[in-house]
Amino acid sequence: MPSLKQIRTKVSSVKGTRRIMSAMKLISAVKLQRAQNLLLSYRPYSDAYEGIAKSLATRCDPEWHPLLKRPEESKKLHLVFMTSDRGLCGSFNSNIIRKIDTFLVTDAKKYELVKLSFLGRRGRDHFARREFQVSNSFIGITEKNITSIAKEISTEVTEEFIKGEVDEVMLVYNYFKSAISHVITFKKLLPLEQEETDEENTPIDYLYEPNRKDVLDYVLPKYLEVSMERAIFESATSEQAARMTAMENATRNADEVLRKLTLLFNKTRQAQITRELMDIVNGTEALRKGGSE
Amino acid sequence: MADTIKLQVITPTKLVVDEEVEEVVAPGELGEFGVLVGHIPLITTIVPGELKYKKDGVDRSIIITGGVADVRDDKVNVLTDNVLTPDKVDTEASRKEAEAILEELKDFGGDEKEFKEIEKRLRLAQIKAGIRQV
Repeated sequence: MPSLKQIRTKVSSVKGTRRIMSAMKLISAVKLQRAQNLLLSYRPYSDAYEGIAKSLATRCDPEWHPLLKRPEESKKLHLVFMTSDRGLCGSFNSNIIRKIDTFLVTDAKKYELVKLSFLGRRGRDHFARREFQVSNSFIGITEKNITSIAKEISTEVTEEFIKGEVDEVMLVYNYFKSAISHVITFKKLLPLEQEETDEENTPIDYLYEPNRKDVLDYVLPKYLEVSMERAIFESATSEQAARMTAMENATRNADEVLRKLTLLFNKTRQAQITRELMDIVNGTEALRKGGSE
Repeated sequence: MADTIKLQVITPTKLVVDEEVEEVVAPGELGEFGVLVGHIPLITTIVPGELKYKKDGVDRSIIITGGVADVRDDKVNVLTDNVLTPDKVDTEASRKEAEAILEELKDFGGDEKEFKEIEKRLRLAQIKAGIRQV
């Protein structure tokens, strides 16, 4: 049985941890609020861009612009995936990493080449020692540099796609559904997805102003940037949500541990008192017996 | 066919306008263009300027900073980087910026694409400064 002093030390250390956890929970709640506002206001913009890109992909001839081309076979895949830089966010990173691990040994077998790009330290660290062609990794994404990072990485994949170094580009990220739920999403970025059409409903081609080339040159790269930025927003928001949940669980757990420790402490103290009392009673009893004789 | 068009003006931070309107007039790269119900699909880049629309017979307008507009199926999506509200614009700074751009243009030796970029910036600065009528 641990001594009272040992228990007291343990209680104070658990209390300290609990204080940190609950502070982190409050911080991530505030950060979540902020990230969520940014994300929710960004969504209509990126959805609209996606709509335009889809409709262009449906209406345009793949010959018209290098970004519209559709490789006959998809052999080379570039996977861009997003984790967080920091831990303490529950299963947020491990889930997505496990999913990618599974993907790499199953579906990815049909590709001749799989390239990986990372956003976030956790994913990079995990794959650092494995044999994959790592093309790029970004860490330390903040609200300020998010646009330039999105631009950089989308320029990179665009160039690779145009040169034919890759046939397919996919984004993997945590889609933010709500504060308690985020879904790992594989999103195909390139080649561009098309709208569903049927025989009766053949789309009419657009009128382009000032001309087709200028419009495609402007819209398609912009769409890729916007999608990339959106995915980063989604992932960042999910991260804060995951951290908040994890910290809430940790706080609750610490409370539970504290409760148990307090109980143990009281029991131990009581046992000690009882033991001392018994000693005293025994002692006086012995004395009295000795005195009466 | 519906008798209104759905106009959405969207920036990265806000859904600025989301309304059923009768008519839209937007500053396209080749000049202003109007959209009524039944317009054929059109996609155009937008330069800084005034976007006008009519709802329930009332004319309204906002100033947008350029982007792209997508017209199809009686829907107009205007994607712009920003929307200007007059009271938040620093006219003095914008006037100086416009002058600086004009100065820059005096000995300009770049290609047409660069020129277009500069022209757009100039246009935006002038609109902000109130020099150019939108």
